[in-house]
Amino acid sequence: MTALTKAGIGGLLARQGILVAFVVFMIVFAIANPRFIDIDNVSGVIRSSAILGVMALGVTFVVIGGNLDLSVGSMMSFSTIVVLDLHDTLGPTLAIPAMFALTLCLGAFIGFLVGYLRLNSLIVTLGMLSAIHGLTLMWSGGQNMDIADKWGTWFGFFGRGSIAGVPVPILMFALAAVVLSLVLSKTPFGRKVYAVGGNGTAATFSGVPRARVVFMTYIISAACVATAGLMQASRSLGSQNTVGQGMELEVLAAVILGGASLLGGSGTIFKTVIGVLILGFIQNGLLLIGLEFYVQYVVTWVIIILAVWLDVAAKRSRLWSPIA
Amino acid sequence: MTRTLTAALAATTMLTGAAMAQDTMIIGITQNNVGVDSYQTTYEQAFIAAAEANDAVETVVLDAGGDVARQIAQMEDLIQQQVDAIIIWPTNGEAVIPAVRKASQADIPVIVTNSNIAEQGQDFIASFSGPDNITQGQRAAEIMCDKFKADGIETEAKIVQISGQPGYTTAIERAQGFEERLPEVCPDVELMETQPGDWNREKSQQVMEAFLTKYDDIDGVYAGDDNMGVGALNAAKAAGRAGDITFVGATNFAVGYDAMAAGEYWGSIYQSPVDDAEAALQTAIDVLNGEDVPKLNYFDTPKITQDNMQEFDKPVF
Repeated sequence: MTALTKAGIGGLLARQGILVAFVVFMIVFAIANPRFIDIDNVSGVIRSSAILGVMALGVTFVVIGGNLDLSVGSMMSFSTIVVLDLHDTLGPTLAIPAMFALTLCLGAFIGFLVGYLRLNSLIVTLGMLSAIHGLTLMWSGGQNMDIADKWGTWFGFFGRGSIAGVPVPILMFALAAVVLSLVLSKTPFGRKVYAVGGNGTAATFSGVPRARVVFMTYIISAACVATAGLMQASRSLGSQNTVGQGMELEVLAAVILGGASLLGGSGTIFKTVIGVLILGFIQNGLLLIGLEFYVQYVVTWVIIILAVWLDVAAKRSRLWSPIA
Repeated sequence: MTRTLTAALAATTMLTGAAMAQDTMIIGITQNNVGVDSYQTTYEQAFIAAAEANDAVETVVLDAGGDVARQIAQMEDLIQQQVDAIIIWPTNGEAVIPAVRKASQADIPVIVTNSNIAEQGQDFIASFSGPDNITQGQRAAEIMCDKFKADGIETEAKIVQISGQPGYTTAIERAQGFEERLPEVCPDVELMETQPGDWNREKSQQVMEAFLTKYDDIDGVYAGDDNMGVGALNAAKAAGRAGDITFVGATNFAVGYDAMAAGEYWGSIYQSPVDDAEAALQTAIDVLNGEDVPKLNYFDTPKITQDNMQEFDKPVF
């Protein structure tokens, strides 16, 4: 194995271990049930993953900047409930910008606490996880939120519509991924995010405005969450208060699975997208195989660990390392 | 909340004197997780309204926020306050038993509401008041079977099940009732697969998408509640297959009611959080009045389908 890796494909593996893992899973699932690679199924899985995916794009910025964001699940519930409620009171045209504004305020608040006050992001966002859940419940009074006139609104476009046969959520996910990928890799701001996450002190001494960069990563994350909330609300035209509950961990799993370091300073948008797709296809693939669901939880974990291991092994060009 | 109410109670007692205080029953309630869904929110509102309408009752209303440890602490608070009876909506059917036992030893009758506690705790409770989830599952099976018979496909129909959160008693019982009853009424209907939708409309929609990919022929979907049933309906509509499928849920929600009115969803079981809350309070009052209360005090949960839905109000949750 070592010899083979060194011989030629090693370079590819080292750079794209997670991509190779992804392809391997796809082939295994496709052999187990050929319908897995049916175009309708693939498109369905990407469409369902798009909501998680857009959130993961934003969190990638936060994680590369050296922080965590555990509040995105609650925040997505908040955006979804708020936009559904405002849809019936303000009308869809005003509801969407109003919801974005409110969600960005939450992001700005977290960004201020973590960036300018330098509070620990784990504590801040863990606290915000429950605080925002509370805000959502206060807003809705604990009731499910449903659009009264589900048939007479164009609001379903973002979750249910399609352009040239491609579902709109997939297009939004792809567009967000391309734009954010360019921001991260081609702009001075993107390089500052890596600098702050890689070595904050060094970045500060190099004249990088650390607080502002961290603040901006949370603004980007909140904007992504608002987009995800819009897609979610539009897809179901109604929602429970708990719609995003628990998603923060799935989002984080996708980002880390994509190879971003929890310590900050590394990761790419492309790899996060692969991480998101792996999670989405695992869930769908296990369902199609028809594995009993108690087993699914365990198998999901095993596959994630396998993927991370393949990625790490590829980076060090060996499967097993006595010195880590 | 607790302190305010205790203070208010103390004030009332001082003002009206000891004789009056003896006539007033003080009933404490610790709920599971108000606000997590509309059912629990409506339950709390109905409970408070029912208690306020009854002059003989004072209540201490608490909520555990889904947290077992907090609920146990609340039980201990209520025991300390020496309330006359405690109503508990268990966050967990096993973990709360020691706290229930403690209340029972302090001679405070405990009424379990909505979801029962485990078997080994039954000696310590005065009564359970709530819906019978097994009956709900059984009746859902009957609704499904009757519909298949009306359509003339009871000998060949194939169905899938989307269950509630794995490990929860309610989810297990609703699945169990359905799975036991279906072969009795419609022995030839095949239940092809069961997967959990975690009480979540979006999760259920994803599960149904996978079912639709996997099976070319699905005649019926049984969901643990209408939230999940409507999630499955949305998936089938997106795939253009909703017209071929009979959707039945085990608890009727407003979304399910609307979908029934639109002719897209066949039936469900009508369970009212208002009945649930009022039954719990009445059971507690009956126990305190020394009446003979059955150990399992179920309130009725009738069948609702497109045929008889005009007899029922739209659920508020």
